Amino acid sequence: MRITDLLAPEAIELGVSAASKSDAIEKLISLHNGAGNLSDVDVYREAILAREAGGTTAIGEGMAIPHAKTDAVAKPALAAITVPDGVDYEAPDGQPSKLIFMIAAPSDGEVHLEVLARLMTMLMDVDWRNQLLTAGSAEEFLKLIDDKEREKFPEEEPAEEAANDAAPAAAAAAPADDGAIRVLAVTACPTGIAHTYMAAEALNQQAEKMGISIKVETNGSGGAKNILTKDEIAACDGIIVAADKNVEMARFDGRPVLITKVADGINKPEELINQVIEGKAPVYAHSGGAGEASDESAENESVGRKVYKHLMEGVSHMLPFVVAGGIFIALAFLIDTIMGAPQDGNFGSNTPIAAWFKGIGGVSFGFMLAILAGYIGRSIADRPGLLVGFVGGAMAAAGCTFAEPAGQAVSAGFLGALLAGFAGGYFMLWFEKICEHIPQALDGMKPMLIYPLVGLAFIGVFMCAVNPIMIAINVGIGNFLTSLGNAKILLGLLLGGMMAIDMGGPINKAAYLFGLASIELGNYDMMAAVMIGGMVPPLAIALACTFFKDRWTETELKSAPVNYIMGLSFITEGAIPYAAADPLRVIPACVVGSAVAGAISMAFGCTLMAPHGGIFVFAVVGNWPMYLVALVVGAVVGALMLRILKKPVEK
Amino acid sequence: MFSEKVTLVNPQGFHMRPASLLVAEVGKFESTVKIIRNGNEIPGNSLMAIMAAGIKCGEEIEVQAEGADEEAAGRAVVDFIASGMGD
Repeated sequence: MRITDLLAPEAIELGVSAASKSDAIEKLISLHNGAGNLSDVDVYREAILAREAGGTTAIGEGMAIPHAKTDAVAKPALAAITVPDGVDYEAPDGQPSKLIFMIAAPSDGEVHLEVLARLMTMLMDVDWRNQLLTAGSAEEFLKLIDDKEREKFPEEEPAEEAANDAAPAAAAAAPADDGAIRVLAVTACPTGIAHTYMAAEALNQQAEKMGISIKVETNGSGGAKNILTKDEIAACDGIIVAADKNVEMARFDGRPVLITKVADGINKPEELINQVIEGKAPVYAHSGGAGEASDESAENESVGRKVYKHLMEGVSHMLPFVVAGGIFIALAFLIDTIMGAPQDGNFGSNTPIAAWFKGIGGVSFGFMLAILAGYIGRSIADRPGLLVGFVGGAMAAAGCTFAEPAGQAVSAGFLGALLAGFAGGYFMLWFEKICEHIPQALDGMKPMLIYPLVGLAFIGVFMCAVNPIMIAINVGIGNFLTSLGNAKILLGLLLGGMMAIDMGGPINKAAYLFGLASIELGNYDMMAAVMIGGMVPPLAIALACTFFKDRWTETELKSAPVNYIMGLSFITEGAIPYAAADPLRVIPACVVGSAVAGAISMAFGCTLMAPHGGIFVFAVVGNWPMYLVALVVGAVVGALMLRILKKPVEK
Repeated sequence: MFSEKVTLVNPQGFHMRPASLLVAEVGKFESTVKIIRNGNEIPGNSLMAIMAAGIKCGEEIEVQAEGADEEAAGRAVVDFIASGMGD
């Protein structure tokens, strides 16, 4: 017995306005009558009203199903109206009824129960209900019902006998609480590839076995799928959070939430679902309110990604100090060279003007480690992290220890500053959490007194304790680098190549940071190899575009001249569009060119004190003629490699 | 846990009125009441789910109750169904 067989188009009226329950009933009865379903209108009306007198047939959630089983019915049938503004049908939940089906059943047979069961099964789908309400025509309304019926009862045979068996079985398969999904779940694992989906699958299967409606949101690597809606969260029995990483929790505030491992979702789905439907899940109280949602999503990043982000925050703030200071210091040496000052211990400040450049440059340079650590700390712990980072960085630069608290000649260098920034930042993050428990009256004192004081004490003790180790490492690396001799050429090869591998990505940045750290140690040749390695890729591509036009597409050729400027300015990223279009050929070619340039630069002992600037700081490069040679050779080698590796483009 | 089988006696099966009366009966108790029919669990507090199941006269179903007052709840529900649920 299909709904669509019982519901004639002329028994449907959409967009009805009904002032009262009896208005709506009259409307439906006249629809039944108009469709020829009734043998006696008055007797049927009496039966309907008698049924309503025994208790409303509204079932809540905007639905009502008035019905009567009487001899006054000519043939089993349905009538339906939608009431967009709703009508007070004395629903148990007090909501106005918008979707009303009226059943007319003859007094013999079981049509009544079957139709009711089938309607209910379909009406549990909230989305589908809403589609019915917005249907534009009776035909569309019927089509929706037909589609839903096919979906819910796919095994249905046209024969009535088979349908009778299929309906109750399928109907019982997905019972839900007043149409709402009973159990919601969120699954997530750190990598977001396998366990997230295994847990979702296990929960879905178990729920189906138990005949309980469920919806599982998967927070996998491709982002959250099947996201739970506000209405679903508000209407469900409870939420299972089976996750090994942070998921957005603010939305579950005040709802029963069972928080567990993703493995439990895979291994114990039945236990979890039972706990939720039996109301044993504790009510979740979110600390901090909905505003934390963005923070929580940021926490979804991997640890490596977060560390990288904090590190880059520090580096990007530090760079201006190093670049400007480095150029000033290099200028001081240049001036003294031009003025013919003796190359003694005082070199760079023998003439007054050189001394001025060197002094001011040195002040700017001196901020390097403090700024780096300070902004790493701030990136981790926000403002409270700034002081610990700054002071820790400065202590690393000064080489403070318990024996020499005021500092000494040797520095804990870059590594010390990095440690200060991260240790200080994470300490403050932890300390801020601890401080949530102190009386609210002291809130105002936290940022002004408590955080700085405790932070300073912590970082003071911490840095004095670790500095001796960091100083030893720092000095060790410095000695190692100076002892390398000819092996330095290999290092130059490596650093130059690294700069070209991902053109601004983590490997590029690692080489760059090594160059920076070497500057701080007084080894200026590393930075020279690093910068030239970063300048070659765009230049090699620009050269190849100029001389080997058949290797490139029109658009690539058009934007090539810009790459000359990019390369000369040490903006490696200019090569990215070309590398992205053909990475397997372009990247190896660039790596070879950059490595050659880095090796040549190192071989001729070129030095660079300014960690940025490209061609514009060549004046301050030590042994700049050979540096220029290295650049040209590297770019030409890169361009030739591109010529060899890349296939001619068919135009 | 309380568990007992009972046969539906009211001639029209579990239609809307008995279903809503049953939900009201279940609501009087603290325990979770379920109806097991053909291996499917039907929550005893859900009017729509009970109606959707379309249980017919003469079918044997199982009533399960679990909670603080499970004995009383299960007993009341079984007796209510056995009595024909007002039909």
